[in-house]
Amino acid sequence: MPIPRRAFLGSLSLAALPLPAAAGPVIDAHSHLHHRGRPTWREDDRKLIDAADKLGIAQLCCSILPPERPTSLDGFRECNQWLAEAIARFPKRILGYCFVNPGFVKEARDEVRRCVEDRGFIGVKLYNDYRCTEPVVFPLVELCIELKIPILHHAGHTMWLPQPQPRISDGGDFAELAKRYPEATLICAHICGGGDWEWTLKALRNAPTVYLDTSGSVIDEGVVERAVRTLGADRLLFACDMSMTASVGRIRGAEIPESDRAKILGGNMAKILGKRSGR
Amino acid sequence: MIDVNAYLGHFAFRALRHNTADGLLRLMDRKRIERALVSSASSITYRSAHAGNEEIAADLARHRDRLIGCAVLNPAYAGWRDDLRTCHEEFGMKALRLYPRWHNYKLTDESCQELIQQATRRGMAITIPLRVEDRRQQSWLVDIPDVAHAEIAAAVQAAPEARFLLMNGSGFAGSVLGRKNNGLPPNYAIEISLLTVELANELGQLLQNLGEDRIVFGTGMPFHYPDPSLAKLEILDAPESVKQKIRAGNAARILRLQLSRPSARRPRQSPPC
Repeated sequence: MPIPRRAFLGSLSLAALPLPAAAGPVIDAHSHLHHRGRPTWREDDRKLIDAADKLGIAQLCCSILPPERPTSLDGFRECNQWLAEAIARFPKRILGYCFVNPGFVKEARDEVRRCVEDRGFIGVKLYNDYRCTEPVVFPLVELCIELKIPILHHAGHTMWLPQPQPRISDGGDFAELAKRYPEATLICAHICGGGDWEWTLKALRNAPTVYLDTSGSVIDEGVVERAVRTLGADRLLFACDMSMTASVGRIRGAEIPESDRAKILGGNMAKILGKRSGR
Repeated sequence: MIDVNAYLGHFAFRALRHNTADGLLRLMDRKRIERALVSSASSITYRSAHAGNEEIAADLARHRDRLIGCAVLNPAYAGWRDDLRTCHEEFGMKALRLYPRWHNYKLTDESCQELIQQATRRGMAITIPLRVEDRRQQSWLVDIPDVAHAEIAAAVQAAPEARFLLMNGSGFAGSVLGRKNNGLPPNYAIEISLLTVELANELGQLLQNLGEDRIVFGTGMPFHYPDPSLAKLEILDAPESVKQKIRAGNAARILRLQLSRPSARRPRQSPPC
């Protein structure tokens, strides 16, 4: 029998999964709302929230990405405006990442500052407009350090040549950026949607300030256990990137201590969010 | 619950856990999965796929009540007729598993058509995993695309008397295989491990288009965590009677298995949660 919606909303914590009831809310560290070029965007956003309800996910850290590459100035400003409206529509459920193209150096910095200081966004989302080690990205990283907010960065490492996304960043790039900016809070996106995850874990092993999100559609058995062994549970963030049952399932299925599961499901992201709020 | 998509043995490109009979059974117990259709993971990359069938035969014989054998054969490789006979008559395997991309043939090749016909005459179901692993993470040694839906459609059309199980696939709802009144014989069912239930809800669409008798539970373990498939069934918006068909009834019909009474074949130990 389907569980009534209200019952789900009442259990939006780790208790909704077979986890310690004392732990905090489950936070999806990497999600997206839909671009309004999609005629069904409103209904699709609602479906995302419904799926989160059913799976016991309390908060979703979202961005909206325009479809065109390279990302235009108007494109990212428009998306961030829509996201601000969505945050108002779903208060405390949707947290916002400001999406920008770092190539617009001044405008991107202005947009991030405005979104964080005026609109309450919690971080920055970057895609593949530039590799994260390109100098054009550095002013943005420095602003995020100043604002005490994380950067969630699209990532992937495949063995294919030619690379379909020539400026995609990988774990090695994040390790390099972290060496230059050890005080930055960097999140390498979707270990389960970014190609060879074993390579990525090894590349990030000695970059202790880089977090890794567990999202993606790949459901390879053992990935979470290997990530905990290689990086430690303190560096892993539960996330779905819209692959909801895959992402919840892999955390449920992982053979790890319950204390580690609680950190991954929300504890670590809550700490990151607390850096700015001072909690 | 019957899992139609499970494996024993090693895979050439990634270390697997729970890939012995005891390990897989322990995992099945924890997840309350009663029986599984099991094939050799090693056969995917062995030159002679049948060597993998031989490797798992003794384990299958020891656990016949829980592990159902599935033969991996390559119709482009010498001796497959002998190997089919061995798998069916000596090893008691109930199904055939085909890897046309990994083994370099087409489902519509004459030899493959003959293999499907011979296996069907023996009462075996024909299983086709559309992929083994996500293409983005494949080794530099291989570049293996998914099996195309159109190729599968041609195969099911060419063998209307066969019973096909399609697994490790997605995107059916947008292809001929997932369309209502698609002109294909209703001789195939689709396994759920890579289907969405949330957002696009491909599983819901397939239930609507193909009907409740043509969706089957499967996980892909131990390549995959079994839990995503379990989570899909949990949140699927469908009556319990439909979920029960997906969990076991449809697979039992297609594999021609007797469903045990609930108390007769319990997992060996209680799961922890």
